[in-house]
Amino acid sequence: MADVTAFSYLTGASALHKMDVRFKLASMILCSLTTVKTQFAGLFFLTLVLGIILLYIRFPLKTLIRELRYFSVLLLFVFIARSLSAPGLPFIKLGFVTVTYKGISDGALVCWRLLNIVFTGLIFVATTRPSTLKTAVEWWLKPVPFIPEQRVAVMISLMIRFMPVILEQARETADAQKARGVENRKNPFYRLKKIALPVLIRTFVTADELSVAMDARCYTEKRTSMKLTAGKNDWLILGGVILLCCLMVV
Amino acid sequence: MNIIEIKNLSHRFANGEIGIDDINLTIREGEFVVFAGMNGSGKTTLFRHLNGLLTPSGGSVILDGISVADDPKRARRMVGMVFQNADSQIVGETVYDDVAFGPENLGLEQAMIAQRVSEALHAVGLNAHADKRPHLLSGGEKRRLAIAGILAMGSRVLVFDEPFSNLDYPGICQVLKQIVSLHHAGHTILIATHDLEKVIFHAQRLIFMKDGNIIQDGAPDDNLKEAERFGVRTPCATHFGKEPISWLT
Repeated sequence: MADVTAFSYLTGASALHKMDVRFKLASMILCSLTTVKTQFAGLFFLTLVLGIILLYIRFPLKTLIRELRYFSVLLLFVFIARSLSAPGLPFIKLGFVTVTYKGISDGALVCWRLLNIVFTGLIFVATTRPSTLKTAVEWWLKPVPFIPEQRVAVMISLMIRFMPVILEQARETADAQKARGVENRKNPFYRLKKIALPVLIRTFVTADELSVAMDARCYTEKRTSMKLTAGKNDWLILGGVILLCCLMVV
Repeated sequence: MNIIEIKNLSHRFANGEIGIDDINLTIREGEFVVFAGMNGSGKTTLFRHLNGLLTPSGGSVILDGISVADDPKRARRMVGMVFQNADSQIVGETVYDDVAFGPENLGLEQAMIAQRVSEALHAVGLNAHADKRPHLLSGGEKRRLAIAGILAMGSRVLVFDEPFSNLDYPGICQVLKQIVSLHHAGHTILIATHDLEKVIFHAQRLIFMKDGNIIQDGAPDDNLKEAERFGVRTPCATHFGKEPISWLT
């Protein structure tokens, strides 16, 4: 049986699960864009709100921590790069390497922003069925000329659907390589190469099998779409998100 | 009445290798047919012509009087296929969404889709799992989900490619019970397998394939003893001079 991954839909009946996906998508984009312009106080406020939402939708926190451990390595790199590159009053000076107060502050700010964006995305993915997301993306892209909105929408929903499968395959491949002593090889590039190629090949094979299975079930771009209906609660939540974004920027 | 008529069907792959070679076959409506043969004998290639997933190099497949080549969409609606790897067949984020995928492609109204999904899930006993994530189901449940996906499209012919591979004993029994009950409900059942033990008791016809050809075709009682000539193990009971028994007893 497959393991649970953070990047997939969680069955539930919360207000966010019931929210019209068009509004949810707009709210997510607004939150993410505002986060980029927010300082520490705003970020603290947003993290608090996102934390409460994660608890409210009963997001499995153990899974969250496990899935974000690789992302935290990326954040560490970003933090180190920022700390070393920003000019200003030195905090530590070791030979030609200088860590500045401004660098530490900038690094922490960027990492915190990225973390909040990831949390926002996780909440969106966990509370949205790909089938409704597909309909919402179609709705938003319809007025945009030269973009095949139905094709783009199906690609996005399939990508979200297959994220857990690809992660599971990567995990299986990594375990198989560990069983054959790959951890004795200390070169990270060697290990990356050895895991990336088989996972890519398996992903392509899966994609091929999927396309045949979709064909067998009469797949067409002109298919019945979910009907989306906006209610009072959707407008209220969107209003709340806009207010939150204004407060964060101020 | 013949629901499937295959006339001089051949398929040659892009690399020149022969997949199937000049096959002639008829299947009556409501028949339960097992296709047995070694890996690479042409079972899957033959099945993929039944709903137009592969285009023949020669010959034709006629479903209930209409050629697959003339109306592939009808063929895909009429012939539902359960693939060997259930994981890559599941496209929905929930059990409900996955079963609804086929009817949505047929452009049915939402109310009709909901009715078909509910009936299909009920038929395979997965109605309590409608909101569950498919990749968390057990192997047997995943196969039953794949079956529900094709039942919701209203398929009359159900084609199973190695339906028992990678399943544990309870999973095999679940899937076999499902297949037998669908046959009793009037569906035509075609199964490709190299493992006769699990299914042969329920089959009405046994066809052996080798190197893309049909080598032997007849009632299981007459054919079974020949199985090992074609690289297929005969059921255990046969080795002791007894009749095969059902895995459901």
